Amino acid sequence: MPESVDTRRLKLTNEERTEGVLLGFRCLECDTVIFGPGTFCQRCTSAKLEPMEFSQTGILYSYTVVRIPSAGWPGPVPYILAQVELSEGPQVLAELVDCLEDALEIGMPVELTLQLVQGEDSSAAKVVYKWRPANQPSPTAEVDP
Amino acid sequence: MTQFRPGRQVMVAGVGLHPFGRFPGKDLPTLALEAVVPALGDAGVQWRDIQVAYFGHVYYNGMSMGEGALGRLGLTGIPIINVENACSSGSTAFWQAYWGITTGIFDLALAFGAEKVPRGPVTVTAEDSPERYIGADHMMAGYALRMRRYMMETGASETALAQVAVKARQNASLNPYSHRKETNSVEDVLQSRMIADPLTLFQCCPTSEGAAAAVLVAEDALSRYSIDKARAIRIAAAVLTSGGYNGKGSDHSAFSPYRTEPAALEAYEVSGLKPEDVDLVQVHDAATIGELQQLEALHLIPFGEAWRATEDGRTAITGDIPTNTDGGLLAMGHPFGATGIRMIHETVLQLRQEAGPRQVKNARVGLAECSGAGDVTTVHILTR
Ligand SMILES: [Zn+2]
Repeated sequence: MPESVDTRRLKLTNEERTEGVLLGFRCLECDTVIFGPGTFCQRCTSAKLEPMEFSQTGILYSYTVVRIPSAGWPGPVPYILAQVELSEGPQVLAELVDCLEDALEIGMPVELTLQLVQGEDSSAAKVVYKWRPANQPSPTAEVDP
Repeated sequence: MTQFRPGRQVMVAGVGLHPFGRFPGKDLPTLALEAVVPALGDAGVQWRDIQVAYFGHVYYNGMSMGEGALGRLGLTGIPIINVENACSSGSTAFWQAYWGITTGIFDLALAFGAEKVPRGPVTVTAEDSPERYIGADHMMAGYALRMRRYMMETGASETALAQVAVKARQNASLNPYSHRKETNSVEDVLQSRMIADPLTLFQCCPTSEGAAAAVLVAEDALSRYSIDKARAIRIAAAVLTSGGYNGKGSDHSAFSPYRTEPAALEAYEVSGLKPEDVDLVQVHDAATIGELQQLEALHLIPFGEAWRATEDGRTAITGDIPTNTDGGLLAMGHPFGATGIRMIHETVLQLRQEAGPRQVKNARVGLAECSGAGDVTTVHILTR
């Protein structure tokens, strides 16, 4: 079974590995919320952290269409890289799928979606978190096993 | 804000530069020494007088490359330290040399940097990092995200952004050491290959090879080394910061476009100088948007207005905020370990009035800002 691309950032929540939730923490001393792993608070260095799960939606803060990818990028070219602000505050960078370039607009609502990404080595398939426009029917199966 | 109090006054006694570009026949130590030897000559000191050396570089060319290069000048046994701080590696080496002298430990130090950057998009993380699957590890994509947002918030046009690249080429055409020699037009910039919308190829710095070096000395040791005081340039501030909490998540350039501001404020405080005292500035223009946001973070231009200042010619050599007078990363090129010291080199030439056709009139105060992954920022202010 494919694993989460990073178990500290994405927890898979069903058997089929088609659903998941982004992970982070809240600092119990200064209330700061951070996406991803942490042992100490980025802001105040406290170790009193409470794990948290983020909501499934966010707002498009900025985006780019990457036409010359980095070496080792296993996905399609070009691809849309989205900078998304979660309602809880942190920003998350990931690919935006199921969206035409002309439909992109800063401020548009997006939602979390998962895709299976085959690495260059066939044994290295990972479930990767991505964004897609919110409130529209999915044109593709979320994860093709 | 100020964490350290400078001690003794430190001067730049000499600078040297190997041209930036592609030099397939030369190994890294050879590149480095072709900057170091001219820097020693410029300062009028001998290699055997140097008490400590810091070497900035990023890409792996073998271990202890600083020792490997300087060993060819003679094995004097001094401490040689290899410094990796991403695009700020060279300026970090310079910063360390400064602090080694101002605290009284050393009198005469060498800071140098050299690099042979591989071709293709630059990545930050290790090859097996999750970022490679996620698609976020792409230096220029990070700048593109910043650019799109900046254009939306400030009303900056693509033409204004392209003008940053045109100006860089114009300045570089006056610089025999630059990677890019040909000037171009706004149309050329906008029609060049798209890398990551809206960032086109000519709005991204080339990956380059090259080297730069600087000799630093305590002011009270100038006469001991028979250094010409009239050509020595004063270091009024040397500040390095790493990423502070930015409220948006962990380190990514897209999350903290104005990360330079705290270092800049500290540099002004330490030097007793104000933004309006700065006569010329070198900033980290890895992409066109970088120059605009750095000028704003340095408080040289109000936030959101650097694009208009560029359109109005204020950042040209003949403007009131001459910026990246040697061509900057965009046209001079960007060999990571050398870039920060290349900025010092240009600032020193300008303050000595030795910059030839790109000389800024009556330059007395120069600022050099260099940024790197890890939200590293260095700000140096030099004066004559
Ligand atoms: Zn905290």
